[in-house]
Amino acid sequence: MPKLLEVNALETRFHTVEGVVHALNGISYEVDRGECLAIVGESGSGKTVGVLSILRLIPSPPGRIAGGSIRFKGVDLLGLDDAALRKVRGQEIGVIFQDPMTSLNPVMRVGDQLVESLTAHEALTARQARTRAAELLAMVGIPAPASRLDDYPHQFSGGMRQRVMIAMALSCSPELIIADEPTTALDVTIQAQIVELVKRLQSELGTAVIWISHDLGVVARLADRVAVMYAGFIIETATVDDLYARPAHPYTVGLLGSLPRLDAGARQTLKAIGGLPPVLMGPPTGCPFAPRCTFATDRCRAENPALVTVAAGHAVACWHDRLSAESRP
Amino acid sequence: MSEAALVAVDGLAVHFPIRSGLLGRTTGAIKAVDGISFTIAKGETLGMVGESGCGKTTAGRAILQLTRPTAGRVAFRGTDLVTQEPEALRRTRRHMQMIFQDPYASLNPQMRVGEIIARPLRVHGVTRGDADERGTVATLMETVGLNPSLRDRYPHEFSGGQRQRIGIARALATNPDLIVCDEPISALDVSIQAQIVNLLERLREERGLTYLFIAHDLSMVRYLSTRVAVMYLGKLVELTSSAELYARPLHPYTQALLSAIPIPDPVLERARQRILLEGDVPSPANPPPGCRFSTRCPLATARCRQEEPAFREAEPGHFVACHLV
Repeated sequence: MPKLLEVNALETRFHTVEGVVHALNGISYEVDRGECLAIVGESGSGKTVGVLSILRLIPSPPGRIAGGSIRFKGVDLLGLDDAALRKVRGQEIGVIFQDPMTSLNPVMRVGDQLVESLTAHEALTARQARTRAAELLAMVGIPAPASRLDDYPHQFSGGMRQRVMIAMALSCSPELIIADEPTTALDVTIQAQIVELVKRLQSELGTAVIWISHDLGVVARLADRVAVMYAGFIIETATVDDLYARPAHPYTVGLLGSLPRLDAGARQTLKAIGGLPPVLMGPPTGCPFAPRCTFATDRCRAENPALVTVAAGHAVACWHDRLSAESRP
Repeated sequence: MSEAALVAVDGLAVHFPIRSGLLGRTTGAIKAVDGISFTIAKGETLGMVGESGCGKTTAGRAILQLTRPTAGRVAFRGTDLVTQEPEALRRTRRHMQMIFQDPYASLNPQMRVGEIIARPLRVHGVTRGDADERGTVATLMETVGLNPSLRDRYPHEFSGGQRQRIGIARALATNPDLIVCDEPISALDVSIQAQIVNLLERLREERGLTYLFIAHDLSMVRYLSTRVAVMYLGKLVELTSSAELYARPLHPYTQALLSAIPIPDPVLERARQRILLEGDVPSPANPPPGCRFSTRCPLATARCRQEEPAFREAEPGHFVACHLV
């Protein structure tokens, strides 16, 4: 059986007035059925573009998928026509966006929005769809779901709106859910509620999840595997335990070192990563992290290292990775 | 409280009127800050944490008199700012500055960086003549890690972290005693956050600054602060030393807040027990009677729903507002 999702050498560029932005520079990853893959990275690292490209949700122009393939259950999504792609969107792959306020229609009742997505993909009567909509709201923990179907999005709090988004993403029982920083706009106590909800639904329904985040704490709680992105490349991927226990790429090491930890005993000094992330104009040369990396050598500045497996399930793109004792040949 | 306090806040309240109807009659009030008292000692960093809408930013602004308090006193170096004459207040402002949350919105896009940093110098007559001003601006830029040759650039030519450095240079210009930092890092990327935090720490040590550090990121606040105050719905619920707060939180809200923060360690995370709060924060226009946290508190009793708990010193230096402590 093919993997649920196989992304191979995906490249996405944006053709802007100032020049070509190389947002994605050939990233490859896989997602298994029922697994949670977290994609972490800072703003502009390509984590959102990387998953929106899967559903061809990149605004085009200026965006263009310049190369690579995306196979979902063996079918190449880049080869599908619009009608076939629409069936995949929502029905087989659901999306939860970062900001529930801007991704729900403010002038449409929440129930009608749920019914709309249900009837678009499934043959249901209006009554059946409404019943199903109420069930979905109950499943995501919204109190008095039947009576809330007639409310508008502004009548819900931020956390409750995100629950509605999750209900909508789950409405057609998709096999994969893409969650694009779904808790970034929420307070910590509400974030904890949403994270526990997604964890519970994932184990109950067996849905695979791609969780995009910049928060390494949330990722530690939720993910099975992690891919770290920098400047449009995946620079390290490992199981969640391995990544936190044995980070191999200097950027991952730096990222983990720059976080103050709640459980830390004495006061440690934060190890900041110096410098700034690169501008993605023009094709990349050398390792994108080299200008900020304390281990960088001439080779790093000239040649971009490929993502190479260094241990079981652990791959890293670095000439001087922190796992291997010596530099790679 | 102690004599060495740089700032003493007593019963501070900020209510925003709710107007409605054709005539705009006042029909209620958003009680953003509703009677809080604390002191900030010279040279310490007081962290102020809470979720959105708890009133922490309004409290910071009210201390600087950027938002005028509805009630209460704010003594700065022994003088009450609330009753101070406008001209005297303007002179006091030199000694207390603010760093804002959004480095994109808090710098005038039409002004060059050098002008932005020079503005407080001119307003308060700190420097004498153009040469002195240019020299001071250059020193300030170097202090915060910016190259003075960039002084003629505009804010949009800088990244978020660099802009925050400009905001810090501007706050330092008048050589203040107190800086209110209103979520200065929450708009920045993780790797840049640590740079700014380390800069703020260095400046505090070098210049003997006092910070009120407002944030929702408890792990960063723990890292930076001498003492931490926790706010909920316009009230202080707990205030104690940073170490004590994290080791032995007394208030059920603080306990839930701490348990909600994910730790970047998957093995620890799996073993952790979470206190999941039910529901959302009530509206500050219509706070619940009794303890404001009683609607979400897993331990609330009948007394909690009727009687408001006093903010009292439960143990030496450890203040808490809860009937059950």
